[in-house]
This record gives sequence, C-alpha cells and structure tokens, in this order.
Amino acid sequence: MPELTTELRKNIEQLLTDQVVDVVIAFKKADAPLRPQPAFFRNLEELEDLEYNGLCQNNLANYLTRYPHDTKIGIVVRGCESRSVNALIVEKQHPRENLYMIGIPCQGILDIRKIIKKTGEDVTGYSEDGDQVSVVYEGKEVNLQRSDLLHDSCLRCAHPNPVNADVLLGEPLPDGDPTIVRLAIEEFEALDRDERYAWFQKEAERCIRCYACREACPMCYCTECFVDHATPRWTESDISQAGTQAWHIIRAFHQAGRCTSCGACERACPMDIKMTYLTDKLNNDMLEVYQFETGMDDNTQPPFASFNLDDKNRFVI
Amino acid sequence: MMYILEKKNVDQTLSEWSAKYEVYTPQKVEAYSQFLPFTESSELALNEPLNTRYPPKSLFLPQSEVMLKYNKRLNKFDEIKILPEKRIIFGIRPCDASAITLLDTVFDTDEYQDPYWTERRENTILVGLGCSEPPSTCFCTTVGYGPFNQDGLDALMTELDDVYVVEILSDKGQKLFSNFPASSKDQEQSVLNIQLKAKDLMEPAFETENLKQTLDQLFESDYWSEIAESCLGCGICTFLCPTCFCFDIVDEVQRNERIRNWDTCMFRIYSQEASGHNPRPTRAERTRQRLMHKYSYWLDHIDKIGCTGCGRCVRHCPVGLDIRAMLRAASNFEREVVNVG
Ligand code: SF4
Ligand code: SF4
Ligand code: SF4
Ligand code: SF4
Ligand code: SF4
Repeated sequence: MPELTTELRKNIEQLLTDQVVDVVIAFKKADAPLRPQPAFFRNLEELEDLEYNGLCQNNLANYLTRYPHDTKIGIVVRGCESRSVNALIVEKQHPRENLYMIGIPCQGILDIRKIIKKTGEDVTGYSEDGDQVSVVYEGKEVNLQRSDLLHDSCLRCAHPNPVNADVLLGEPLPDGDPTIVRLAIEEFEALDRDERYAWFQKEAERCIRCYACREACPMCYCTECFVDHATPRWTESDISQAGTQAWHIIRAFHQAGRCTSCGACERACPMDIKMTYLTDKLNNDMLEVYQFETGMDDNTQPPFASFNLDDKNRFVI
Repeated sequence: MMYILEKKNVDQTLSEWSAKYEVYTPQKVEAYSQFLPFTESSELALNEPLNTRYPPKSLFLPQSEVMLKYNKRLNKFDEIKILPEKRIIFGIRPCDASAITLLDTVFDTDEYQDPYWTERRENTILVGLGCSEPPSTCFCTTVGYGPFNQDGLDALMTELDDVYVVEILSDKGQKLFSNFPASSKDQEQSVLNIQLKAKDLMEPAFETENLKQTLDQLFESDYWSEIAESCLGCGICTFLCPTCFCFDIVDEVQRNERIRNWDTCMFRIYSQEASGHNPRPTRAERTRQRLMHKYSYWLDHIDKIGCTGCGRCVRHCPVGLDIRAMLRAASNFEREVVNVG
C-alpha cells in the first residue's frame, strides 16, 4: 500500500511539525521482510522508514500504557486498535485529550503462518498491490491472493473501520458480517464435551509460558500478572497440564468485555497456539447477555467492571 | 571415516535404534517442528531448511523438571531417576550442538557438576545434520561457527542426493555406524564441496571484532532504550535460544515437588527483588542484559560468543527485533557518539 504509506507519512509529518503530538506510534520497515516493527516517531528524519502494509502484526494500542498521561500521543489505528484505545481510555490509561488517532479502515492483517505454509519459512522479500501479494522464496517470486492469507481474526472482523478516530485515511469499508463471527464459535460449541476438552488440551498444553500473548495484548497491562504472583500462588508455575490450562483459561477470563478480537495474541505466539476461540466466545457472550461490544465508545464501562447500587439482580457469590 | 545412510532406510534405522535407545528426531507440529521421540507414525521434518523452532536444549535442560519430591508428613525425600534410557538425538543442527557445548561450561565445570545435565550428556549420542542451504536468517559463520560445525557432535550427516554421508566424530559415533556401508571417494569429495559452498553462501551479518568493547562502552548509553523501545518483554527470544539457560527453582507445594523452570532476563520479575526494588526496571536494561550476556559476558567467561547464530530470535520475535540489526546499530551508535565528541 505505497499510496497509503505516503499519505500516512504526510499526516504524521504535519502532526509533528505542528507539535500536536510528542510522539507518533506507527510501524517502520525492518530487516526481516515479514515483520515490520512498531516504531515511535519523534522527528521528521525518522519518517523515511515508515511502513504500513498487511504484515503489520501488532496491536499498537499495546504501547499506550507505557507513557505518562501528559504525553501527547499520536497513534495509527485500524478498526480493532481504535477500539482497544477506546477501551484503555475507559480504563483511565490515557486521557482522550492527549491522544490523536490516525484511523485507517482496515483490509485485514496477513497471517505469516499462512504465507509460510504456502512457500516455506525463509521468505526474503514481500510486496503487495490490492488483492495481490508477492513474496520472494528461494530467489523466486511467488504470487499469492491476499484473501487467502488473512489472519483468522481478520476474516471474522465485524468492525474494520476505526471508531472515534481524529482523522480517517482512505474510504470507510462495509462492516463485517456478524454471522461469520458466530460461525467459529458455533463450530466449537457443536462439539461434544470430550471433543471440546481435547481441542482445549491440544492448544493449551503446547504452551511454553513465554507470555508473548500477554505482552502483545493492549489490555494485559497489569504491573503484576496473576501468573507472576508468588504469595499466594494462583497457578502452577511450570508447563504442566494444570499450569498451562490455568494460564489459558484465566487469561481469557480477564479479557471478558475488554478484548477487541484483534488476534495480536495469537499472532505473537511462537507455538502457533489458537486462543481467540476462547476470547471470541466471551466477547459474544458479552454481546448477547449485556449488548456490550468493547471500545465502541470511550465512556461505557465493560459489564464486569461496572456496578450499580440499584442493580435489580442480586450479586452472585 | 565416512559411512552411508540411505534416505530410504532412515525410518528402518531409527526403529532399529529405538529397540535400544530413546530416539529423538525433528517432527512437524502445526507449522513448526520440534524434537520428539521417534515412533513408527512420526512425521520426520529432516528436509526443512530451518532448525526446529523449539530448541533441543530442552532435551538436556527441560523447560520444567522435577528435581525432588518430598513427603512432608513422613519428612522424607523421594529419589528422582533422571534418565532411564540411553538416547540418540538424530538430525540436530550444528548451531544447536555447539550451543550444548557452550552450556557444558555452565552445568559441568571442575567446581560444579549438575547431575541432571551431566547424566543426560553422558547417555546421549548426537547425530548432526549439516545445512547445505543455510537460510537467510541464520548467521552461524558470523559468530565463529558454521553450517557444518562439528562441536559437540558424535557424527555429522551431509545430504547427498538420496543418501546421507556420515562423518564420524567420536567413539560413540563410530560404534553407532560401524555396520553401515562405507562411502566412496567421490562421495567424500562431493561432501567437501557441499560443505565449503554452504559456508561461502553465508555473508557476515555484522562485525564481531571489537564488538565486546563497543557494547561495554555503551553500557550507560541511550542505545539500549532506543533499540528496546518496541520490545514486548516476552520470553520468545530467550526460551527459543539454544544458549539461554537461566532457570528458576520453585516449590510446587500442593504437588510436594521442587521443580526447575526456564526463566528469562526479559521478564520483569526475573530481576525483581524481595524488597520490591528492580535493578533492571525497564525493557532497556533487560535487553541490555540479553545482548551483553551473549556478546560480552560469555567472552569474559570462556572467550567465546554465547550465540551460535541459529536465527530463532530473529525469526520469531513478534515485533521483528533482529539481533543482527541491533548489533550493527551498536557499532554505528558508538561511531556517532565518537563523532559528536
Ligand atoms: S486478548 Fe488477544 S484478541 Fe483480545 S485484545 Fe488481547 S491481543 Fe487482542
Ligand atoms: S504466546 Fe503462546 S506459548 Fe507463549 S504463553 Fe501465550 S499461548 Fe503460551
Ligand atoms: S522476542 Fe522480541 S519482543 Fe520478545 S523479549 Fe525478545 S526482543 Fe522483546
Ligand atoms: S541469540 Fe538468537 S541467534 Fe543467537 S543463539 Fe540465541 S536464538 Fe540463536
Ligand atoms: S545457524 Fe548455521 S548451523 Fe544453525 S541452522 Fe542455521 S545454517 Fe544451520
């Protein structure tokens, strides 16, 4: 998307020149062709390296919580990222007035694993043009279809357009089809109990507890995660069955009503572990039970974080 | 002495060995590969250009390992049998085998011997597979190793059409292969050519001369916060690294077990002290520790770089942080500082 990158560069240039922001969080080119890197632009010279394409894997909202509240932050946001930013504003992680969201209607993020499944792992070049993606493998160009390579979370995306962005680059896209979001959940729910457990075991028990899923998630900003807590200890510390299962279940539950189904956790995992089937299910419950979707505005508390003294339902404990 | 293992006989050979040894081979799991015990139904991943994603160091230093079991009521300990079997690790890459020799200098020294490590080392035969077509993310030659490096191996295989030509590197290796057919002079010549060509294919990834001094001088500089700004602080680059060996000993009291887990300097709690003070408070100091350990402290320790160039951290960092680029930036950073001064 060279045109989009140029437009983005112009936009960021303006923000920095006018001192609207102190820093802009975006992506830059990296040596490894498949992995553009999150980058933090403070001056104009650095902008030469700016990159925006389908391989930008990470959820940039992840970096917001690293800054003092008075830092004026510009941030490039796709649909899910903008909603993560909104969710963080609700959780008082950065004041809205010190944020400038540069929105990009999102065509979807490509799954590196789907690319290397088609070629091989040692990809040395990458370019894209509309629905055409071309990678270099063993010195030869291989042409692929963008739609075959989209990350599963992006195939299921309901809201590709940024919510509450300060500026939008590119034309808004049609919303995703909610029945597609439900498909994967229904498929999982259609399994019987033993099959569901077998699925869960196959995924969770490959875990090496590297916590890349946690560190890649904008909503996992606790200074001390429950797994790191020593007294009392909430889970077994090792890669035992009990340890890995507990990590997967509890991490997912901490995301209920906070996760935006961006899939950054799954894309970061070195062991190709699926985990959005858990958080997507919880998100769907939030929608069905509480009519709540994360980050659709920047002031509604997620259901599990809000309370009301006049609540007509009794608290269950 | 060189022997021939025909590709079509690999499965049969491995099953024969399985009668006497526990045999580990690289096998496909999802889109990655990992060393797993060989069985008749194993899907071998020997032809991959890349080494296994999960490092074979785990076969000597398991990610989680029970060190002792105790019975609080009876006030006694149960003995743990460390390794019941003799093992063959088949198809390990040279970078991973050299990494194990680096770790020998940690777990098996004149002063201290870690019985969990030494017993596994003694009872294991390492059959290596050299890399005829080194991937672009590997840089073993830059750090003093190579795609056919022999360190730590008992035998080294070179792929040649439909055979593997096996070079014997130790008595253990000789014993294992002595019944195999010998290779021809022509085959041995081809092996030599393949090995030289592979090495030549790999370009230097960065300058290693004076790198240690450069890093030492940068210790207090902003270089670290610059390179680590996007770092997530996850465990990928260290857990997958064949030379990282940090561990944490934990009592799993509800299981009555004392265990040892891999730990990593990239985690915040790794350096967190009981008082709450953390001497490595941000990802910058933690990244500094990772790079300095490999490219400075290992040199203090045994005068060797503590990275064998396997490329795992390059390939799997979720934010694309490439250790080669970081080290190039270190040399440039210093020059900038010097120029300014
Ligand atoms: S849990 Fe995963 S999908 Fe949900 S917000 Fe976090 S990174 Fe995104
Ligand atoms: S990223 Fe994957 S391997 Fe690492 S802790 Fe998360 S699920 Fe486990
Ligand atoms: S893998 Fe990358 S993000 Fe994770 S700790 Fe290492 S350098 Fe940081
Ligand atoms: S530092 Fe990176 S390249 Fe070096 S041995 Fe470790 S994982 Fe491999
Ligand atoms: S680093 Fe060298 S020895 Fe290791 S896999 Fe790559 S080419 Fe082979």
